[in-house]
Amino acid sequence: MSEADARANFERFARGEPIAVDVREIERELGALWQQASHDGGTGAVARAALWNLVIPTHGREALARTKALVDAIAPAAPIRAITLCLDDGAGGDLSATIESNVVSQPGGGRVVYSEEITLVGPVGAEAHFGAMVRALQVPGVRTATLWMDAAMPSTLLVRELLPVTRRLIVDTASCAAPLHLQDLERLAARTQPRPVADLGWLRLGSFRLLFAGLFDAPVGGAPLRGATRLTVRHRPGGDVSALLIVAWLGHLLHWRPLRASQTSDGGLRFDFERADGGSVETLLVPTGGPCDASAVLAIELENGRDAYVVTRDAIDEAHVQLPIAPPRAVKLDAYTDADLCVAALGPRGRDPLFAQCLQVAGRLWSLEARAGGSRR
Amino acid sequence: MEKIAVPAALPNPLREGLVEERIPEPATMVIFGASGDLARRKLLPALYSLTRDRLLPARFAVLGFGRHAQDDDAFREEMRRGCDEFARRRPVDAALWTTFARNLFYQQGAYDDPAAFQRLKARLEEIERELGLPGNRVFYLSTPPSAFAPVIRSLGQADLAPQPAPGKPFARVIIEKPFGIDLETARALNRQVHEILDEQQIYRIDHYLGKETVQNLLVFRFSNGIFEPLWNNHFVDHVQITGAETVGVEGRGGYFEQAGSTRDMVQNHLMQVLSLAAMEPPVAFEADAVRDEKLKVLKALRQIPESDFERQVVRAQYAAGSIAGRAVPGYRQEPGVSPTSTTETFVALKLFVDSWRWAGVPFYLRSGKRMPKRVTEIAIYFKEAPHLLFGRKGHPIRPNVLSIRIQPDEGIALNFGSKLPGPAMEIAPVSMEFRYGSSFGMEPPEAYERLLLDCLLGDGTLFTRGDEVEASWSWISRIHACWAAETAAGKTTLPAYAAGTWGPEEADRMLAADGRAWRLP
Repeated sequence: MSEADARANFERFARGEPIAVDVREIERELGALWQQASHDGGTGAVARAALWNLVIPTHGREALARTKALVDAIAPAAPIRAITLCLDDGAGGDLSATIESNVVSQPGGGRVVYSEEITLVGPVGAEAHFGAMVRALQVPGVRTATLWMDAAMPSTLLVRELLPVTRRLIVDTASCAAPLHLQDLERLAARTQPRPVADLGWLRLGSFRLLFAGLFDAPVGGAPLRGATRLTVRHRPGGDVSALLIVAWLGHLLHWRPLRASQTSDGGLRFDFERADGGSVETLLVPTGGPCDASAVLAIELENGRDAYVVTRDAIDEAHVQLPIAPPRAVKLDAYTDADLCVAALGPRGRDPLFAQCLQVAGRLWSLEARAGGSRR
Repeated sequence: MEKIAVPAALPNPLREGLVEERIPEPATMVIFGASGDLARRKLLPALYSLTRDRLLPARFAVLGFGRHAQDDDAFREEMRRGCDEFARRRPVDAALWTTFARNLFYQQGAYDDPAAFQRLKARLEEIERELGLPGNRVFYLSTPPSAFAPVIRSLGQADLAPQPAPGKPFARVIIEKPFGIDLETARALNRQVHEILDEQQIYRIDHYLGKETVQNLLVFRFSNGIFEPLWNNHFVDHVQITGAETVGVEGRGGYFEQAGSTRDMVQNHLMQVLSLAAMEPPVAFEADAVRDEKLKVLKALRQIPESDFERQVVRAQYAAGSIAGRAVPGYRQEPGVSPTSTTETFVALKLFVDSWRWAGVPFYLRSGKRMPKRVTEIAIYFKEAPHLLFGRKGHPIRPNVLSIRIQPDEGIALNFGSKLPGPAMEIAPVSMEFRYGSSFGMEPPEAYERLLLDCLLGDGTLFTRGDEVEASWSWISRIHACWAAETAAGKTTLPAYAAGTWGPEEADRMLAADGRAWRLP
């Protein structure tokens, strides 16, 4: 490469633009460009940082563009070496590779954290090479997470090649096309144990769950929950999975035993539970319209025959709560981007044992629906 | 409205596994001095931000109490303006504010009027009845210090602050600084307060302790295996603690004339920071365990002998100068300040903690107004390597310095030497920095948010205990006594420093005599 070409490459690299490199020379090219950055940065040696290797399989150019935007948004909050694996029907016969830098500046303008992004693109069938490439490109001694969000990618890539090197699997149940996938996910979670599975959908439900849980803090306490007779979860059409996770969460924590499932006339689902004291709880998943984020949950209503405890979403980041002993109260909901959730999933919140337990319950609930001759599969 | 029976609450099973578990019980906060600046600039914005972050209980009320006559709506309007200007979470959300403001109330009264406290009690009970509140109360004394004792006495007379008892609602009292102006007044105030309140009901606030970096100091020391082994006289050469302000007296000349930098900053803020930096590991991260260890540090402070007073204590006053490109007057030209004032606006101290860990390690403290920049930090200077393998004559190697920035830009930096690339053995200082903003992608919460929440939760770890206050005053009062003796003998030494500088030459000479220099933070 001529000195002028090298210079041009470096300038593009420093601007965060992708540089095409030989697949066999990725590390060497990265090393050379970072070395040049140290000489040209003007602020002394640059420090490359990576707390995680983050592997993101994706299918098609459009999905690749979305993935790259996601990585750009994650980088300022969590230094990662992102390894994006893309299957592209229009790609040529061989794998191609590009490298990019992600630079996070401090408020005064100085550069403080440098991380990098590697993208491998190949035609369908190239997934056979991805496992070996990932093993070669992992930063040594740094944990690897796999962000598995694209259902169009072959699951064999995940199961055979990526899971063995993955310390944390990150999924998004909100993007499950049908609750059926919950059972696949449950099996996957069992396979990855003891390594945790983090779910962006579960994290997205966090502020809604927190808000609902808050209704039963002192002085109300847990008494109304013990006598619950009906639970209604209102959700956007297609948001059954999130609603099912909410039901699973409450059912698990309140020790409700699932008895049967059925379809309702309004296109929703009904699950009957037995409470720990032998009483019964009717649970309804009701599809309805309204403003919502990707979690798709619009309201949780719990009744105990006398009082109602309700959280209702009024806007993407607003809700109100209703308690029998106080007037309705407006509250703010945290509005998280997918990047925020990914960062959370890489942190301690990505190790939530409660999610695995609720996932199991949700899977059981869905199998009840199947036995009832459910039509949603 | 009919009174609502509040049964003893069963545990909430839905809290299992949720991240934010520290939600206080429903309560009412009564703010004395509610028409003052602190309520508008700090307290209500902090409570609003806590509400915004859903860290306050669903049922929570604020009752402002002050001498100024106004109704609930006027109080809400004034607090809204305060939140618009000062809340961390801005802009203020209209729907949330409507809900929040619905539970803001105001009551006029004098701090020493028993009838006003009976009216306050009736109003509190009415609010609690209407909102279904269980009677938990926090009383915030945001008043002039002269009102502390009368308010607490009045609370006692009105039976508003009963001593804690199992199963009964709590009553806690937050007391702003200054807690006394010397050892005698602090002891007297402690006695008066203890006539009514149990020590566990008292939350003496020092907002420095609510700052994230001050708390992180404990995490940094006691959760990282690599630092604590170095945190002693074998490895530490000396410690510098700086609390610098760019502001002058800002219209509070009358107050500052009585206080001076030593009372205003050193006795409380810097002594607290010193005690956290120098304390032994507590047996648990619990209020009394932490405060016991801090107290030991304060009790281990060596009194400065009269013979060394000039070498270990420097006080000074700012003269006219320039701050941020603007000419500013000298202290004696400030409104409310005597033209012959001897009040110090700068103080530098050299002190020793007589303990096994810190024997022989000097701690240099300085605090001043009208300094070039606003900064509070602790700098731990480590000893030089035992054999200077790489130093050249005339090119000493800079010591390793660990600096803990408390404000602004909260964070921690470690300076060390590194070889410059190339054939020569040149060494250059480099810095490893951690900043809250850039490392966690979020700014830390305001100190008052943390402290108000802790008080509501009944966690006194970040508040000052009565014996700590007295121990701190005990040491500081000796300095004041020496200055009083100097004045009586007509030997007052009060050098001037130009506003916009780092203090008088005398302070530099104090360190130079030890072969050291002040760090430029």
